[in-house]
Amino acid sequence: MSELPITALILWATIAGLDLASVLQGLLNRPLVAGGIAGGLIGDPVAGLAIGGSLELFALDVLPVGSARYPDYGAATVAAVAYGAGQPWPSALGLSVLVGLALGLVGGWTAVVHRRANARALRRLSPALERGDAGVPLRLHLIGLAGDLVRSGGLALLGLGMVLGLLQLPRIGPAAGQALTVVTVAGGLVAMIGGALRRAGTVRRMAWLGAGLAAGALSLGLR
Amino acid sequence: MLPRVRAMIRLLTLQASYTYERLQGIGIAAAQEPLLEPLGKDSPRAREARVRSAEYFNAHPFLAGIAVGALSRAELDGEDGNRILRLRTALSGPLGALGDQMFWAGIVPALMGIALVASALGRGLEVIVGTVIGYNIWRILITGWGLRFGLAHGMKVAGELAHSRLRQLAVGVGALGAFVIGAAIPWVGLWLLGGSGRSMVAMVLLVSGGFGVGLATIRRPLPVPVITLGAGLAVLLWYWSRS
Repeated sequence: MSELPITALILWATIAGLDLASVLQGLLNRPLVAGGIAGGLIGDPVAGLAIGGSLELFALDVLPVGSARYPDYGAATVAAVAYGAGQPWPSALGLSVLVGLALGLVGGWTAVVHRRANARALRRLSPALERGDAGVPLRLHLIGLAGDLVRSGGLALLGLGMVLGLLQLPRIGPAAGQALTVVTVAGGLVAMIGGALRRAGTVRRMAWLGAGLAAGALSLGLR
Repeated sequence: MLPRVRAMIRLLTLQASYTYERLQGIGIAAAQEPLLEPLGKDSPRAREARVRSAEYFNAHPFLAGIAVGALSRAELDGEDGNRILRLRTALSGPLGALGDQMFWAGIVPALMGIALVASALGRGLEVIVGTVIGYNIWRILITGWGLRFGLAHGMKVAGELAHSRLRQLAVGVGALGAFVIGAAIPWVGLWLLGGSGRSMVAMVLLVSGGFGVGLATIRRPLPVPVITLGAGLAVLLWYWSRS
């Protein structure tokens, strides 16, 4: 574990957390991106992409609209990759993904806490806001931004701390590891397909989804 | 710094001050503030405009610049406050639906589907870095375009938006997203299951099951991450109990 670039991982996990909703939303929070880059930082991009790719299947089921509540897979994926890197990924993938899923759910809860903290700040500054005082919206906005920085940094620390603890435990055997990999990939495929069907909505788009599936299967067969 | 540039930077962090009461309202107000500077700091008009700018608002964050520009233009033109609030309400739904369809249901799944297939083919990292750079350049450009579009059209923005090509574009990228995700499913299944002959059978079974479950639960989605966690813990307990 001492070989892990901890500072770089904490920084990257924090950036990925901020990208969930507060800053840019420029794909940095996507598990495949967060995992691929984390794998690159650790020196095991193959594991990073496999773990990030598996968690991406779950993220593809999320439609982050309005006030919907959804997991935050950014820092969670970085921690999952830190756990799974350096191991043969067909057997390490499952447990790493479970770590990512658990942390992702915790991350989703912290996003709700952050929004409630924003609401408290809003209530505190409400009289000034209702008077139309200059600078109040920016002040509230900066409070929100600082709050999300704390949230994302805290998640990064929690995730990597949890991984440090897990790495002290004995590893599971290859048979259990492979069974977990099948379970998590199955869950991921169910999430990905369910999300695609719901997003499609119309018969026309479902036809496009079916055409894509046929094209994918054909290209795989011709490989 | 130019007011438009400050508004633009704040738009890129629009949802930092998100609350369940006003949703993006405070973010919109923070982005509008620099654009409302010509109204002065303490004039009654400026104060009224700032109060209005912080009301409830929700749209797709990438297209919210259109609203920020249009509402600011309307304030600067001295439009009636109630009309401005009506415009705010009228823009919220369509900008949300259009952006969700275009980005969350179209472009993002399409890009992630391509990146997943590239990862399965061993070219993941290069494709991911290129995708992230390209996507963010485009995200900044579309936010800037939205701000300019809104500032140019003010109260007439809804009509101008109806004539723009955004709607057609959203329909097109929605279909593209569905196609790419469909194509990615078999590649991803085989990649993550290990690529052996046994994996092919497992992949076909899992994908068929996935479609079955997906269609059966299309109206009432399952909490798949929680179920997967539960199933994974059950597998772990079973192995530990045997060893």
